[in-house]
Amino acid sequence: MTSKDVKNELTEEFSGIKYILTSGMRSRLLLAIYENPKKLDELRGELHKPSATILHGLKELENINLVRKVQKSYELTSNGFLLTANMIKLIENWYSINKDKSFWNNHDLSGIPDELLKSIYLLKDAEYVNSTTSDLSNAFNTYIKLLSTAEKLKIILPIYSENHFRHLIELLKGKKLRNLELIISEEIYHSIRNNDIFSQEILESDKVQITCVEKSLKIFLTCSDEFVSLSLFFKDGHYDDAQILIAKDKNAQKWALNLAKKYNGGEKDEISTI
Amino acid sequence: MNIHNDINNDIKFLAKSEIRLKILNEIYKKPNNVRGIVKKTKITYSSVSSNIGKLEKNNHITKIDNKYHINPMSEVYLKTLMDFKTSMDIVSDYETFWNKHNLNQLSINSVKRITDLKDSQLIETTPVDIYKTHNAIKNQIMSSKNVKAIFPYLHPEYPGLIEMVLKNEGSAELIVPQSIFRELILRIDEKIRKDSMRNHKLQIYSYKEDLNLYLTLCDGNMSLGLFKTDGSFDQNRILISDNPDAYRWAKDLFQHVKCEVKK
Repeated sequence: MTSKDVKNELTEEFSGIKYILTSGMRSRLLLAIYENPKKLDELRGELHKPSATILHGLKELENINLVRKVQKSYELTSNGFLLTANMIKLIENWYSINKDKSFWNNHDLSGIPDELLKSIYLLKDAEYVNSTTSDLSNAFNTYIKLLSTAEKLKIILPIYSENHFRHLIELLKGKKLRNLELIISEEIYHSIRNNDIFSQEILESDKVQITCVEKSLKIFLTCSDEFVSLSLFFKDGHYDDAQILIAKDKNAQKWALNLAKKYNGGEKDEISTI
Repeated sequence: MNIHNDINNDIKFLAKSEIRLKILNEIYKKPNNVRGIVKKTKITYSSVSSNIGKLEKNNHITKIDNKYHINPMSEVYLKTLMDFKTSMDIVSDYETFWNKHNLNQLSINSVKRITDLKDSQLIETTPVDIYKTHNAIKNQIMSSKNVKAIFPYLHPEYPGLIEMVLKNEGSAELIVPQSIFRELILRIDEKIRKDSMRNHKLQIYSYKEDLNLYLTLCDGNMSLGLFKTDGSFDQNRILISDNPDAYRWAKDLFQHVKCEVKK
């Protein structure tokens, strides 16, 4: 195969995304009529472009069956709707990552399965909390404060941390927390088992369910009815306790529960819908 | 919705060069040096070298010990971009299935996870086999223990098929429009129906409005049918799949419609 053949093959393979994503006008037109059909003058007002430019873009989209004209309004065809919804997902995915660049770019993401990475847009309203030189425990304290509000907790815990265990035990002794589901590696399980207090207060507690997984875990995920939080490891394998993502919306909760499900193999209907 | 300018530029930077996407994909699969990438991709040395420079400058890759590694964020960018490409492929591969069809009953999450349907098979009737779609579904139901289905209309064979599943100690969970609810129930043998309902082996939900969707989940298989935008059911096309992703997609859609019914 010559280099020209390779180039042609690649051009053909990616022509679709290139056609849609590299034209500002085509992608903006699709987004503009995603919610509702619009007339030319409405589009002109929204996109601040002359009629000729807009009509040219609409014609191109009509030619590939993404847009159609019904009376005087332009609307998406069913193909156009599918494509635009997925383009919005792409943009929201990029927005979610871009918003918290330092969180996503500095950590090992291998603990998050592909299908969850591809729906990271569900975390678009998450808040990034990090510790600073003036407050080294900011992330940890924020997390602990949130924990105390929970009635039910599901935690993927990848580290053996006495600090965390002490807080969990305190919550288990209180009345608010009714149920704690811990997903831990066998290694962490044995470490807890080897500590008399932790073993008795956590492993033997009626309120606690343990799921053990063979491999070591690379994400620290907490899900409750009120919030979800995520922290990760650095690429060099060390846990980063200074940066945490916190979200309180339903979409993030669905994302987190689906991630947790990947680790405990649960198949409950109520948590399967992203 | 406005595309934030820097996101727009980031997306454009990768999407406008198929060579950059190919190189990034190679580095994502395995960190490599320029010579190694040339060998893998068959792209010329000068082109690889110049695009590696651009990718590095735009913070998509980092050189560590003489090999280029993809940065974590760019790994997610690449995956989501490829996911969008797959969604475009699914729209064009099954063009006749989607085109001029009513998608109102699909949840927005189903639409955004349309890539789960990527290994599906489009079954279309032919002049010599006009019951091809019906028979494909019938065969799925007949060989299944557990059936979940959204039936928007009543085919005369459905009551018998459901009866057969129940007789074989299977279970069925059905969502049907109110207009056919009574008819469907009455056509299932009374004893089998009452025993199955008592044992929670048969659950039928009635939907107040018309259903614009046909969906079956039969053990590990799913099938999906749509209505045309003119309001008629398209009996000539269904998508079927035994892929676990497609099955989960269908299961979540079933769950979504079930929640709508309960509302």
